[in-house]
Amino acid sequence: MNLRESTGIALTAIRANKLRSFLTLLGTIIGVASVIAVISFVEGLNRFVADKLIDAGSNVFVVDKYGFITSNEAWEQAQKRPDITPEDADALRAGVQHAKMVVAHSSTVERIHYRAKHVDGVNVRGDGPGYEVISDYTIAEGRHLGEIDDQHRQLACVLGPEVADDLFPGADPIGKQIRIGEQTYRVVGVTRAKGKMLGQSQDRFAVIPIRTFQKYKAERGSIEINIKSLDQAALPVAIQEARNILRGRRHIAPGKPDNFGITTADTWLEFYRTLTGGIFVVMIGVASIALVVGGIVIMNIMLVSVTERTREIGVRKALGARRRDILTQFLVEATTLSLAGGLIGILLGVGLALVVGAISPLPAGVNGFAIVLGIAMSSLVGIFFGSYPAFLAAKLDPIEALRYE
Amino acid sequence: MLIAIRDLHRIYQVGTEEVHALNGVDLDIAANEYVAIMGPSGSGKSTLMNLLGCLDTPTSGSYRLKDHEIGSMSDDELARIRNQEIGFVFQTFNLLARADAIHNVELPLVYAGIKHEERRKRAREALEMVGLGDRMKHKPNELSGGQRQRVAIARALVNRPSIILADEPTGNLDSTTGEEIMSAFERIWQQGNTVIVVTHEPDIAQHANRVVRMRDGKIESDTVNERRAARTVPA
Repeated sequence: MNLRESTGIALTAIRANKLRSFLTLLGTIIGVASVIAVISFVEGLNRFVADKLIDAGSNVFVVDKYGFITSNEAWEQAQKRPDITPEDADALRAGVQHAKMVVAHSSTVERIHYRAKHVDGVNVRGDGPGYEVISDYTIAEGRHLGEIDDQHRQLACVLGPEVADDLFPGADPIGKQIRIGEQTYRVVGVTRAKGKMLGQSQDRFAVIPIRTFQKYKAERGSIEINIKSLDQAALPVAIQEARNILRGRRHIAPGKPDNFGITTADTWLEFYRTLTGGIFVVMIGVASIALVVGGIVIMNIMLVSVTERTREIGVRKALGARRRDILTQFLVEATTLSLAGGLIGILLGVGLALVVGAISPLPAGVNGFAIVLGIAMSSLVGIFFGSYPAFLAAKLDPIEALRYE
Repeated sequence: MLIAIRDLHRIYQVGTEEVHALNGVDLDIAANEYVAIMGPSGSGKSTLMNLLGCLDTPTSGSYRLKDHEIGSMSDDELARIRNQEIGFVFQTFNLLARADAIHNVELPLVYAGIKHEERRKRAREALEMVGLGDRMKHKPNELSGGQRQRVAIARALVNRPSIILADEPTGNLDSTTGEEIMSAFERIWQQGNTVIVVTHEPDIAQHANRVVRMRDGKIESDTVNERRAARTVPA
């Protein structure tokens, strides 16, 4: 019937009792706002991580001792495996036909000294030749480390810009002697800044040749080998080649499992998605509780409204309103209420996402789907929780209703 | 015959007891009659009014309104009859407090499914007819008792019903205002409407041409009001 009239009645009631309306709608507002905010964050995070992972390691896979481990037992098992060595890396470099680049890598965190100054918590990387391609480093000053540095276990290093700035403010770092642990290294290059990822600086590192690293840092430690395939299509072939070579070197009988791990960016991406999927489900659960509570409050207010307006319902029925006219009127009122809450919730959720996106490294991706979902959810809350009061109103006996004081 | 009632019974169940509110009523009312239904409280006049107004259905017997049997109708059909054939005027006015006069008068037309412009036009005409052309935007609490009742009369008239059914229409008004309202009914009757007034006040009943007295669920007497019947019924 008179949709406009019912909506008008509901909006007038909302305006007339601002505080009551706000309290009534609080549950719905919180529910919708949190759904919008969570979807925005998870969306933004997904996009961000996918971008970064694919950017950093497109067509790259990693061979290491452990592989992708998610349980403690698997970890203990993997401890007993033989280490991956620079010799394995050499074998792979020689043998994997579909590889563009095979780079050995290992790392530790240490303090770096230059004269009286020092920088703490620097990611000291032992990298084989070609690391700049795999890790996407471009040189800002000086040069990258090369084959010769590695073969001769040179005490040479390339610094991340953050470390260089901290140790040599305003001075040219190239050729300076710095100390990492017991050894003194010569700075041969500084990379260009990459910025932050999830709040972590990507510029706080020092690269030294992998064999130098093996000699001084982790003589018996296992390394990892990053392999970039020729292209996307070659990735699975390259993985198979690497497996075959390592199994051959380790004399693993056919049918026995690998005693090394191979992971791709996809492995991480998948794991990450499972993780955020979990967060997502939990938050949707919390939001649902808020929405149910909000719906019950709306139902309560509508029940009060039906009682307050019993006489009005009687009059309307006497004037010719059918059951479904009354039903529609109260459903529209309940839905108008909850939709108002939904719209405020959407604004709040989007606002929250944008504010957090602006002041933290977490990006927020507000999408149309979240907004449609917010509108749909709040209308459903109104229709669902408005049904019972509307039904009560519709089935009122006109004589009793007219007599109601 | 506009209204034909035969052996009408209405029994209420109050706890384990059965209350015979109407106990065999026969009544015929022709178009353009002006009838007063009188009786002390508990005589069954309210029950009769509810049945006449299609707010209730009889336990047994027959009520034919314009040759439609009311007793066998569904809720929705009753709602339609109330909308099209009955115009209610209540003792307590029963206007919607939040709506202005014209919105109140429009309400029956809303449920009749009439378009907005047409509604406005007819509601305005009805209000002008009861002399409230200058009070259309006033809310009920901005109107006097007599004005409120006239808004209610305009609302009763707006959908051109077969019967104007008034339940103690002057019960909440002082006697001067009451007279005003009764002369409004007089005019409505003269314009060719059928008017039924339920009242326990003899003064009010004296305005009608015919007086039906109820007692204990039955019609006690059904007399022509000599003083009034002399008036010429308009053609």
